[in-house]
Amino acid sequence: MTRYLSLYGYFLIQRFKILMEYRLNFFIGSASTAILQAASLATIWVVMRQIPSLNGWNFYEVILIYGLLTMGESITHMFADNLWTIGWNYIRSGDFDRFLVRPIDPLFHLLADRFCHDGIGNFVTGALLIGVSMYSLHVALTPLRAIYILVAVISGGIIFIALNLITATSAFWLTESIPVTQVVFNMNEFAKYPLNIYHNAIRILLTWLIPYGFVSFYPASYLLGRDAGPVVWLSPVVATVFILIAYRVWLFGLRHYSGTGS
Amino acid sequence: MIQSLRRNVSIYSAIASTAAKARLAYNMWVWADFFATIISMFIFVYFWRAVYAGETTLSGLTLAQTINYILLARLLAPLVETRTIYFFGYMIRQGQIAVELTRPLDMQLRVVVETFAELATFLVQRLPLFLLAWLIFGLQLPSNPAVWIAFFISLILGQAVLFLFDWMFACLAFYVTETWGLSVVRIGVGSFFSGALVPLVMMPGWLQNIAAAMPFAQAMSVPVSFLSGITSLADAPRLWTIQIIWLAALLILSRVIFSITVRKVTVQGG
Repeated sequence: MTRYLSLYGYFLIQRFKILMEYRLNFFIGSASTAILQAASLATIWVVMRQIPSLNGWNFYEVILIYGLLTMGESITHMFADNLWTIGWNYIRSGDFDRFLVRPIDPLFHLLADRFCHDGIGNFVTGALLIGVSMYSLHVALTPLRAIYILVAVISGGIIFIALNLITATSAFWLTESIPVTQVVFNMNEFAKYPLNIYHNAIRILLTWLIPYGFVSFYPASYLLGRDAGPVVWLSPVVATVFILIAYRVWLFGLRHYSGTGS
Repeated sequence: MIQSLRRNVSIYSAIASTAAKARLAYNMWVWADFFATIISMFIFVYFWRAVYAGETTLSGLTLAQTINYILLARLLAPLVETRTIYFFGYMIRQGQIAVELTRPLDMQLRVVVETFAELATFLVQRLPLFLLAWLIFGLQLPSNPAVWIAFFISLILGQAVLFLFDWMFACLAFYVTETWGLSVVRIGVGSFFSGALVPLVMMPGWLQNIAAAMPFAQAMSVPVSFLSGITSLADAPRLWTIQIIWLAALLILSRVIFSITVRKVTVQGG
């Protein structure tokens, strides 16, 4: 474990050396995702300034949901972005074989190979949104709430990574996995808004099957003192279960990997 | 004269058909795109239903009008995304730009032909989605052919305006090599101010003014407003005139800026 941590640090330093070669690019990349978020947020603001609430959730409450989702997403964006590029960048080119002959876990190597700075903008945006929302709603940051947010954000990030890992594994058969990943990943858009605006079937889907609800809606319900039942405590459990399943799926795919011959 | 015209037509139609084929070659991407669009239609429909829960009209639009507009905007949303900027970055990175510039064709004309061929393929490809939107969400399309003509004219003019703007914006790639970030910035600003996310009339006055000063609405809000019945046909001549002014101004500007900035190009390798 400590060996992997120090290795990760080493990979990170190398990655930053590359990034710092093009400082302006680093800045644009980090800031660009924040601008994409600004467009969505401006949309919510334009709509919600005309109405008192969205099915019982006011503007700042929706912002809290949105902020939690953005932070969860930023974690996979920063630390697991290679799950998107595994197909065209590693498997098709044959570079993936390099990982298989190294004395470290291939999945660790894949993820550590490229820290993605583009997620930094989302991370900062998400943190700001949570802060602004809690301040405006007079939700004090007690130690318990601070720990809850920390656990919720990490669990949220793990849920994102787990779902991307399951879909990325399809690259071992299809070579290109982005379309498959895209389909499941896009479902997170549902979780930008209170899940109670949707049909029950969608809510159940987003809770138990593709559990993005645990990234944003349920933690936000807890922080705002809404009665959502015991599910508000389940984020870490769901995250653990899904990442374990995802790792098994990954190992299964790895056993069936035969290379592309390039 | 005639001969060179015929030669040009055959060259550019070959380019157009290649672009269309390239788009059709990747089956999986099309399915993924279908799925993503259906998801986003679900989200937007439920979102707007919740928004209208306690209201009959917002900024003069009824729920039915807004949903009709938003469904069409979702179906056409990729039209306000851009590939021009990324294409510039790719050419510079690979050194391909040198080849492009020495070709005996006008580069801008070549790329615009490609872009419009892709646009046409894209619209045909999306027809099943229009059908689904009608089946699931009750999307209503006009029966008056004049409305369709107004829509297509304003769509073509608007897409040309957007293409020329992107061409100008993409010249930044000669200075900054990070084109992914530039594309993302352009898509974020573009989708908001084009009216792809929310009808422009719902914005406060000052935001509407900003949107009107930008070219994005020409490619999305203007044509979609015709098709969804928010804009009446009587406004067509006025809106077309505005689009043509945009087009003329950006045509000159984009070519001048390209010819100046292209001197800066530094190929990274290839």
